[in-house]
Amino acid sequence: MHIPDGLLSPAIWAGAYAVSAAAIGIAARQAQRSAQESHLPLLGVMGAFVFAAQMVNFPLGFGTSGHLVGSVLLAVTLGPPAAMVVMTAVLLVQALVFQDGGLLALGANVFNMAVAGLLAGYLPWALWGRSRLRWIALAAGGFLSVAVSGALAMAELALSGVRIAPVLAWAAAGLFAINGAIEGLLTVAIVRALAVLQTRTAEASATARRVTAALGIAALSLATGAVAMASQSPDALDSLVERTGIAGRVRAWVATPLAEYRLAWAPDSWWGQALAGLAGLALIYPLAVALARAFRKRRSA
Amino acid sequence: MHHLVVDEWTRRPGWLQRLDPRAKLIVLLAFLVCVGTFRKLTVAAVLALGGLVAAGVILGKLPARGVAARALLVAPFAGPLAVASALSGQTGQAISLLMRALLSAAAVVVIVGATPMPRLLRGMEWLGAPRFFVLIVQFLYRYLFLLSEQAQHMRLAALSRGIGSRHAGIRRVLWRAAGGAIGVLFVRSHARAAAIHRAMLARGFRGSLVPLEELRMRLADWVFLLAGITLSAAIRLGVRSGS
Repeated sequence: MHIPDGLLSPAIWAGAYAVSAAAIGIAARQAQRSAQESHLPLLGVMGAFVFAAQMVNFPLGFGTSGHLVGSVLLAVTLGPPAAMVVMTAVLLVQALVFQDGGLLALGANVFNMAVAGLLAGYLPWALWGRSRLRWIALAAGGFLSVAVSGALAMAELALSGVRIAPVLAWAAAGLFAINGAIEGLLTVAIVRALAVLQTRTAEASATARRVTAALGIAALSLATGAVAMASQSPDALDSLVERTGIAGRVRAWVATPLAEYRLAWAPDSWWGQALAGLAGLALIYPLAVALARAFRKRRSA
Repeated sequence: MHHLVVDEWTRRPGWLQRLDPRAKLIVLLAFLVCVGTFRKLTVAAVLALGGLVAAGVILGKLPARGVAARALLVAPFAGPLAVASALSGQTGQAISLLMRALLSAAAVVVIVGATPMPRLLRGMEWLGAPRFFVLIVQFLYRYLFLLSEQAQHMRLAALSRGIGSRHAGIRRVLWRAAGGAIGVLFVRSHARAAAIHRAMLARGFRGSLVPLEELRMRLADWVFLLAGITLSAAIRLGVRSGS
């Protein structure tokens, strides 16, 4: 599910970077606001915990075993904003040191797993976490987190022009379903153990629950929409661009393989791609710097 | 306590290791963008890009096999996509896809293998990553090995009590035991973080770590920066037939 470099088109990875940078920036601010629970070492050490927890294998029968991904576990225990920041740190280290996901694709991976997947996975808990259905909600959340990140990853690849044969798409869907079910069961097993150990889960205010629930629903519909769009036709993004009326110039930016074939003689297409990448960077860079500034100001205040 | 091999690589006396992390990160980004914008790689392009990666391996005195092995970690993801693409009759696309993923991963391995993590993160901070986030990653990397080792010890303890036997009847028990193990790990990590935080406050921590040396761009860094960007761009421009 960690997308490597070299597969996503510049428009997709740059766009994902911009969205993820903004989302994580906001999450970091929220996390810092609830000061006590989110001091720096805690978030870092909990990231290390996610790595360590992934080393504990769960027996699944048939001689196989699975391990935890952990985004819903963190969201339930630390609260969604802190969990988003921790998962982003985990993804960065995985990309740098373990070659699990690419560096340019990091924005997309963060969006899939630490933003959309996490929020969708938290949705059932936000809605039913205090009722009798809490364990079912938690299991469903684990399932949703994996399913949503998987679906978004496949959609991004398809929109980038990577051909995904129907067989492969079904195989991937099956894999995500199995992994999602495992994640759900693991999360329940661990949170139950935590209850025995008398660790409190993060208590969110009613407003916070409402906001995260809304975001979760948004993430869920986005994943559904992305899959629908990607499966419709390989030209989906093209036709979308055309329909919204910004065809012409933008069309060259969003390079699909078909466009490449039609314009085989023209270097425009890759110039367009490079331009899209640079535009993305130009968009991200000031955003990141502004965020960094904001944090610095907060701390000195 | 165990470390990653990559950590050992970063201490080798190579030219690449001594360079400024900012120069290395910018060249890495230029290379990745260059590789990513090829739709169809030609043989010449693959050779030229591979040559750049190989140059990095030599300049960093890195083990070629080790770098290749780590780059191959992307194969489980990119492989099936490439196979599917090849089966639908687009062999060229399939090979391009695989080569793009492999070359990109190899480039990341070379730069990460030649730069200690704290320096790499400082480079990222200079490039605009929020300090709050960079600090979290610092802590993550610092305690990663400690907590992993703790997890290994717990696993060993469980195995020595006969947990490893694959008897169908005890699977439910195993499941609970594994859940409990992670729960304990969670509580311990949480307590450790609190202790670390108190110790840091006691030593005068005020929200940021003080670097021991300033980053400085020297002549070698500028040479590497310009050469890296120029070569990446030249390869992208030169091999036009494949675009």
